Amino acid sequence: MSVELQEHVAFYLTGRRMGGGLMAADGQHMRPGLLARFGDLTRLRYDFPLVLVGSRGDESEIRSLSALINGILQDIAPRGIEGEATRQHLLRLEREIRTLAANGDTGPLSGLWDLATQRIGAPDDSPLARSLGRARAALQVDGEVADCTDELPARVITHLWRALQRQKAGLFNQELRRLTARLADILQADFVRSRRGTSAARLRASVGTGMEGAFDFEALASTLQHVSGRDPLPDSRRQRVQRALSGLQARHYAQADAGGPDDIDSYVFANCRDALAAFRNRLPQIIELVNTMAIAELEIEGLYVEATHDPFFAGFDESSVGAKDLRLFPDYLVCTASEDLQGPENAGLMEILASDMPIRIVIQVSDILGEPALRAYRGPVAHAAQLGKMAMGLGNAYVLQSSSSHLYRARRRILSGLAHAGPALFSVFSGSQRGSRMLPPYLLAAAALESRAFPAFSYDPAAGPDWATRFALDGNPQPEADWPVHEFGYEDESRQSVTEQVAFTYVDFVACDPRQAKHFALVPRAEWNGSMVPAADSLTSDSLAVAAKVPYVQMVNGNHVLLRALVDEKLMLAAQRCQEMWHSLQELGGIRNSQAERLLARERKVWEEQRQRESAIPGRDARPPPPAPAATIAAAPPAQPVVAATEPDKPSDDPHIDTLRCTTCNECTNLNNRMFAYDANKQAYIADINAGTYRELVEAAEACQVSIIHPGKPRNPDEPGIAELLQRAEPFL
Amino acid sequence: MTMTTRASECLMRMYTEDHHLEDYQGSIPRWCTGCGDNAILTAVQRLCRDEKLRPEKTVFVSGIGCSSRFPHYMKTYGFHGIHGRALPIAEGIRLARPDLHVFVNTGDGDCCSIGAAHWVHAIRYNMNLTVMVHDNHIYGLTKMQVSPTSPRGLRSKTTPHGADLEPLNPLSVTLGIQNVSFVAQAVDWIPELVYDIISRAFHHKGCSFVRIIQRCPEFLPELLAPWLSDPNRTLLLTHENGMRVSAALGKVYKNQREHDPSNIDHAREIASLKDLIPVGILYHNPAVPCYEDMRAIMPLRGPDLIQRGLEAEFDKFTIWPQEEAVRP
Repeated sequence: MSVELQEHVAFYLTGRRMGGGLMAADGQHMRPGLLARFGDLTRLRYDFPLVLVGSRGDESEIRSLSALINGILQDIAPRGIEGEATRQHLLRLEREIRTLAANGDTGPLSGLWDLATQRIGAPDDSPLARSLGRARAALQVDGEVADCTDELPARVITHLWRALQRQKAGLFNQELRRLTARLADILQADFVRSRRGTSAARLRASVGTGMEGAFDFEALASTLQHVSGRDPLPDSRRQRVQRALSGLQARHYAQADAGGPDDIDSYVFANCRDALAAFRNRLPQIIELVNTMAIAELEIEGLYVEATHDPFFAGFDESSVGAKDLRLFPDYLVCTASEDLQGPENAGLMEILASDMPIRIVIQVSDILGEPALRAYRGPVAHAAQLGKMAMGLGNAYVLQSSSSHLYRARRRILSGLAHAGPALFSVFSGSQRGSRMLPPYLLAAAALESRAFPAFSYDPAAGPDWATRFALDGNPQPEADWPVHEFGYEDESRQSVTEQVAFTYVDFVACDPRQAKHFALVPRAEWNGSMVPAADSLTSDSLAVAAKVPYVQMVNGNHVLLRALVDEKLMLAAQRCQEMWHSLQELGGIRNSQAERLLARERKVWEEQRQRESAIPGRDARPPPPAPAATIAAAPPAQPVVAATEPDKPSDDPHIDTLRCTTCNECTNLNNRMFAYDANKQAYIADINAGTYRELVEAAEACQVSIIHPGKPRNPDEPGIAELLQRAEPFL
Repeated sequence: MTMTTRASECLMRMYTEDHHLEDYQGSIPRWCTGCGDNAILTAVQRLCRDEKLRPEKTVFVSGIGCSSRFPHYMKTYGFHGIHGRALPIAEGIRLARPDLHVFVNTGDGDCCSIGAAHWVHAIRYNMNLTVMVHDNHIYGLTKMQVSPTSPRGLRSKTTPHGADLEPLNPLSVTLGIQNVSFVAQAVDWIPELVYDIISRAFHHKGCSFVRIIQRCPEFLPELLAPWLSDPNRTLLLTHENGMRVSAALGKVYKNQREHDPSNIDHAREIASLKDLIPVGILYHNPAVPCYEDMRAIMPLRGPDLIQRGLEAEFDKFTIWPQEEAVRP
């Protein structure tokens, strides 16, 4: 073993640099090679900054600045070269707004737009100013601009939550109005039918003074009292309706008074314990209101049965209120940080997630790699990244895990979680790794997601009965692979362009954190040798303990010089654990599912054995057709309708009717309604053959519009004119 | 849109209401003995019973004509409207009371002549209605005048020398209207299929248009005799997504064809058949949106809204003193 290799192996095993061949990674401003090209994010067109628009509580609540600019360009810039100048002008403005947002400028888009226009400083009559003016006029939406900063997760989810609460409050008030109006209708209808409601005085008042001379109200009242229903509402029902009405009206007005933004804010909390306490305080009112609304609904539908419903409502309590009832009321929002989830707070979190309470919890994970308890042994692992996975185990909660960089893409799923009937957990990595601000939060958050250190997934218990419909892993890049692979291009020492396919692994993510520099040792280009292996390849090998080759990752320093950084064993073990966790998520998502693979292997074996047995039988086709896939079965022509044997029925001697074909035309029943009658479906049958004569049977058969009456043979051969009747009956036998 | 509570939903399910056919039978029908309307009435009453439709939540709307006497014979809510206007009335009810089951009974004259414009737009609006066109090919109530579907050459009070025009085909016309979502045809002399087809129409969310060819024994007793006497002239359309024919019926009506109701081109071909009467579901597209779902939520017609509306109307007749003052 050469001296260099010995030095490399020693670093891998001990994490210490021995000899002078390796350089420390501290203070070198190193970053993973794949991130080298993202130096200045303000020059990059990507999802950020976002614009938080106040709209309809759907996906359009959050827009990307780039998407907005694209929309405006489609409206105002003609296709082709004619629109090129406008496009360039507007892209310059977009860059300027992005720079303002990156520098910490906040405010509505309209404000930043005007500020950016000012900074560009185009002369009034220039083409640039004209382009920007037209674009400004075409800007249809406005809202707060939000860059990918530490506060982004709570800000975005709170924005969407508020929009949904506004929408929900509107629907709830509308529902209360509907119920009160319908209950009032019941009382009003009872009143106008009553003696007082039809009195002459009331009729006179309803006509007004202009035309009162034209009517005789006494006569009118007398007539109405004569024809109006005489069944007033029972007292018990009237009192129940009145109670429900006054209960709903009180709530309606209270809701109207407290419907402002302050009221919504009283549902936002900084920790789980306070949210739980507030929920429990408000629960009695909710129970009472749900009770009243249920009574009102039953009364409106006319379905309230005292014998059934009185006992039910007498025992109406907390257990009677389900998740669907709670959806009518505002949800609770908790915005907290993963570091605060200790002791009682952790217990509160678990209590919420295991319940039916409509509490949405946003956990902002700021530092995956800085947890001292775990860092002390076994190297850096991402405990916070497991919160979502643990919550899924409770089964009832909606779970979304993502990073800030992908929140815009995950907005539909955020809305689904906020609308879920039950608790929801949003675990989001903000990218604001404290003490490691080498990269902007956006890049760090994206790196965490790319490297599977903080993978994205969602679990929606309401989506379906199985994991295939509930669980989604599609928010990750290349979810089928262990690590996403990207093209990496650079110039070698002879200025030749080189392109490689490079995987972005957990080790690359850790390399973004200066606090973890001790796990890396830089190897100058002159000392690169064949005993070094990319960390991704090393992680696929069977045993990490065999150090015949030392893993490395490609990194660039502050001067954009490409280096290889050896990785120590502790970090590789952590990467292996990350990989295993990713594999378990893949299995949940149906990728390389071990149970399915085992089942498939078993079925294949059975099929092979059966095939061999059958091929051993002489004269038998050795290759029976394999089972047809579902698509083939579906494509097969549908079966022909079932038709009974086409053999004609023999004429019966007994009179009968093909009742199923009766058209209820009344011909036979008008002829003799004792002999012919209708069944429960109002179709004719022979009710009593002795109730009429054979002549009537024959006449009915002749009159029948659809010829379904069969007179059969006469019961009385001595009936007058029987020979003629038999002749007439012949076609209907 | 209602947001019922879970408790009320649960309790409503606890309350089951069984009805008998008699519960839906209104006054005694005054249709002629042997009239095909009777078969339709019975099929609809059976449907109401089997679907457990609450009479107070069901409404039948009609225009003018023999068939339009239908609401009188149903013990539900009913609206015997004016000539040709059954569909707009039903649409109004649908908008104002989305909780009701709305049926429309109209005739070939009522729907295809004076009400033709409403027919076209009702199909286009695709509101959730079950429309039954009782097509007896004649104006019967007014004692035999030609209707748009009367056969060419028919002698009537208005065409003593025979009808000059080819009859209008209600199926072809309906299938040519934008947003059409359900078109079917039944014949009154196969009551089993009248029931099945109306049942399928009832369960379709959208405007389901069912033409029911019916006999008029009083004025056109022989018109449909060839089809009644020869079952092979009736073509039953079968499909797993359409109608299935019972074994007993299949014994009589052997002329059957597999037809996928999602295929509008084939539906148009079938609708154009001359000698055969197709019976079954010609076209069904459940994906067509309903107009009432596309509109914004209607404001609740409570006392506040009524008061605002009245005040707005009264304001039109108000003389404002300040206007007088500034007038030169």
